[in-house]
Formats: sequence, C-alpha cells, structure tokens
Amino acid sequence: MITFENASVTYPGGVQALKDVSVQLNDGEFVVIVGLSGAGKSTLIRAVNGLVPLTSGTCYVDTNEVRPKDKKAIRDLRAEVGMIFQTHNLVKRTTVLNNVLMGRLHRTATWRTLLGTYTKDDVELAMQALERVEIVEKAYVRASNLSGGQQQRVGIARALAQEPKVVLADEPTASLDPPTSHIVMRDLKNICRELNITMLVNLHFLDLARMYGDRIVGLRGGELVYDGPAADADEKVFEDIYGRSLTAQDMLEASDAA
Amino acid sequence: MSATPSLGTDAPRGVRPSKPPPPPFALWGGIGFVLLTIGFSWDWTYGIGFSIPDLISNFTLDPARNPIVAGVIDPVWETMTRPAVIEGFIETFQLAAIATILGGIVGLPLALLNSLTGAPNKTVYILVKNFNSFIRAIPDLIYAVFFVAAIGRGALPGVLALFFLSVAVIAKLTADIVDGIDQGPIESARASGASHVQMVKTAVIPQILPGYTSFALYTFEINLRGSAVLGFVGAGGIGTIFSNYYQRGWYDRLVVVVIGFFIVVFIVDRISIAVRKRLL
Ligand SMILES: Nc1ncnc2c1ncn2[C@@H]1O[C@H](COP(=O)(O)OP(=O)(O)OP(=O)(O)O)[C@@H](O)[C@H]1O
Ligand SMILES: [Mg+2]
Repeated sequence: MITFENASVTYPGGVQALKDVSVQLNDGEFVVIVGLSGAGKSTLIRAVNGLVPLTSGTCYVDTNEVRPKDKKAIRDLRAEVGMIFQTHNLVKRTTVLNNVLMGRLHRTATWRTLLGTYTKDDVELAMQALERVEIVEKAYVRASNLSGGQQQRVGIARALAQEPKVVLADEPTASLDPPTSHIVMRDLKNICRELNITMLVNLHFLDLARMYGDRIVGLRGGELVYDGPAADADEKVFEDIYGRSLTAQDMLEASDAA
Repeated sequence: MSATPSLGTDAPRGVRPSKPPPPPFALWGGIGFVLLTIGFSWDWTYGIGFSIPDLISNFTLDPARNPIVAGVIDPVWETMTRPAVIEGFIETFQLAAIATILGGIVGLPLALLNSLTGAPNKTVYILVKNFNSFIRAIPDLIYAVFFVAAIGRGALPGVLALFFLSVAVIAKLTADIVDGIDQGPIESARASGASHVQMVKTAVIPQILPGYTSFALYTFEINLRGSAVLGFVGAGGIGTIFSNYYQRGWYDRLVVVVIGFFIVVFIVDRISIAVRKRLL
C-alpha cells in the first residue's frame, strides 16, 4: 500500500510540481497516472522511492515513511520498490544478466560487489526474472546489442529481481513502437496480477491507460484532479484531466496510424 | 595560363569590397612577437647565453670540428649488445611497468573521487580535487631529483617519480570522463537500494573502464619516455646510459642507444595505439 498525505514538491528554482496530493493506492492494484507534460507525473512516482524528496507532507510505503535524508532507511525502502525507466537505464557495456543482478545489490555484501560476484541464489532469481519476461536466452549478451523493447524487458526483469512489493514505471513504453508497447504493458500487467505487486505507471496514451489500468489517477498542474476506476474513465474524464479536447496524439493506435 | 574561373551564372558583377586590414591586435601582436624573439635571442652578455649570431657562426657539420656529427656518421653498433645497455633497456621497461601498474591502482580511486558522481560527498570531492592538482603541478624531473636526494641514486627513486607522474596523468584523464558518463544506470542503481560503493562499482566503473585502460596504456608510453630523462638525475633506467655516454662524449655509442630507444618507443606506441583502438 502506498499512501500520500498532503504531499507537495517545490523544486529548487520555484516550480511547484506537486500540490497537496493525498491518495491511497492498494496492494496489487495497477494504477496508471495520466496528465499533460509537466503535470507532475514523474515527480509523484519518484517521491515513492525518495529520488525526489517531498517539500511537505508525507508518503508511506506500507507503514514505512519515505525519508530520503536517512540513508540507511531509504536504501531499505528502495530495495522493496522496483523502478522501470523510459530510457531503460541499463549499463550498456555489460551483460543482460549483470544488469538484472543489479536488482540484488541491496542484499549483496559489499565485498562481493567489489569482486563482481553474486550468490548462486541471486543468479537463479535473476534467471527466473528473465524467464518471466521471455528473454532468458539473452542472459550473456551485452545489453547494448538488444533492441529497445528487449532492453525494456531487461529493465522489468531487473525490477523483478528485487522481489519488490511495488514497481514504479515512468513512461515505460514512450520509446517503443505500438506492438512492443503492448508486450511491455502485458508483462507489467501479468506481474501485477500473478505476484500481487502494486504497479504505479505513468502513461502518455489514453487507450493504453484504459486497457491496462485498474485505476486511473489524473494530475493537472501538480494537483490531483481525478481518481477512479479505469473502466469509468471515458473521453469526458480525460478531457477534464487535460483541460482540452483529445487529439490523435493522445492515442497509441491513432497516433501510429497518423 | 588558366582561364578565369566561372560558376556559369550570368549574374551582374557587384561592387566587391576590398579585403579589410588585419585587426590592430593581430598586427601589433605579430610585430611584438617578432621584436621579442629578436630581442631575447640577440647577443646579450647576460641571460641564458643563447644567441642567434653565435648559433649561426658556431654551427658546423664538419665531423672534424663537431664530435656529434662524427658519432652519427660512424656509430658503434656493437653498443646495442653491451650488457649494460641491455640491462638499461630492461630496467626502463621495469620502471615504466611498475610505475604504471601502481599508478593505475592509486589513480583510479583518485579519479572517481575527483568527480561529484564518484565522491560520496562534496568535502571528499574538494579535498581529492585539490590533492590531484597538487600532485599534477610537480614535474616528474622534480620528483626524481627529490627522491634521489632522499633515498639515493638508483631505480627506486625512478619508480617513485614515474609513479607520481602516472597517478597525476591517470587521475586527471579518467576524472574527465567520469563526469561525462550516462547518468541513467547510476539512477537505476540508486533506485534499487544499492550503496554508494556498489553504485560506483556496478554503474560507473563499467562505463569508464575502456577509457581508463586506454589512459593507463598511454601512461606506460609516457613513463618509457620519462625514464630516458630521469637517468640524468640519477634515477635509473636507460637514461643512466644516455647520461654516461653524453658526459664522456661517446657520441658514436650514444647515437646507437638513442636509435635503439627510438625503435622501442615506436614499437610500443604502435602496439598501444592498436590496443586502444580496440578498447574504445
Ligand atoms: N529537477 C527539476 N528541477 C526543477 N524543476 C523540475 C525538475 N524536474 C521537474 N521539474 C518541473 O516540475 C514540473 C513537473 O515535472 P514532471 O517531470 O513531474 O512532469 P511530468 O508530468 O512527468 O511531465 P512529462 O510528461 O513531460 O514527463 C515541470 O514543470 C518540470 O519543469
Ligand atoms: Mg515525466
């Protein structure tokens, strides 16, 4: 469970990216965050693992408050929260397996990391994570040799290897073509269902949001302007969130056809 | 005679501007530079004793009057196989290799800490940055003179001098690439709960490794060349032979050792360039 209580973020320089957001996200829920560019979607997601500190208010993962200043506490919390990035953020020069094993760093002794080794159990977990996203045959391939979609699945496997309670995904499909976007979204959905992991996903495309989300949270100018089941989110709802009428660019399929 | 070039267009000839005079800074800077050069190199009684008139009147290629030319014309090739010379070359290789390896080991952490990405906090960053600048500010010859004075002549002061030179070069060049690496993997390592040391090991080092290895190879070349000079202040290596033959006026042997050294450096240079190309 993720709980925001009156959460606000003001960046150095004065931009207020989150304004007094209060919301509770339940275990195993697939939550999609939508909003225009600059609405504060990334900020909200990054507040969950403390990559962006709250200026005021609080955020909890289960009963643990997110406190980025407490180095030990925040590392313990991050170990339970996987993260998937738009740009995949893999170490390109090393193998797929090594990238996935980075998800085990928190449980790995420093001396092991310095020697570049992991335990057998960790390697087994990493392999299983790769099997789940159906890319285990690439385990010993250099990450730079994979396609964008394959790299993103490695990113998902890395998050899975953490054995997380929560997975955050910041526009996981933004650099992918439509068929690959669906593969990635389907993987995330399955993980959410089968492992009962809470998913918090930023999406640009409304059709993807409606198709895969259980629940949709809408942000405008840093404020929470919508919170409801994905099934109820029709065009009118999205127009309210965006504060404008919808265009072809708001749909994955339509924008592809355009 | 070549014909007037033509683009083939029949545009009417416009009013073409004449080339503007050079800006005053370039003009007076150029004149000043020439005057300074002549002024500094004229036949002054004081100063470094270098003067263009002397240079011209004393210059001769006549072997009878110029022992260096005599040596070059009639080199003693057997010098190459003298045990002292062979030992000198081996010692130079050893000096350069040991200094490069130790310098690489010490230089890597210093390079990482010399960057806000690699340092655990700002204080460490500033301390290490200044420390690196300090090491870098001292020339290798000064290190050599210092260590010869402190621990006596031989290979050890040479190793120490080249070690500091290696640390300075490797730390500086590597630190520059640490700042430019992809921040994405760093963020994902942090987001997974990795410690700072784990983040550096898994997300930073793989990215800088090719550059670092390439700089270490380059440093080996620098050390080879450096060892040729350090011998003159008693810090071992092939430079000891250079210094010996030079002081005794054995130019006919010196020229052989110089040619040998040139070939060694050239070969190492080629190998190193080839290896570095494959790394990057
Ligand atoms: N590091 C930062 N420093 C200063 N301002 C920032 C920073 N990151 C984001 N902002 C500002 O905060 C606001 C919200 O940014 P955020 O990245 O959360 O938006 P977003 O909804 O994710 O947008 P997008 O869809 O373009 O990714 C924007 O106005 C942005 O310019
Ligand atoms: Mg964003």
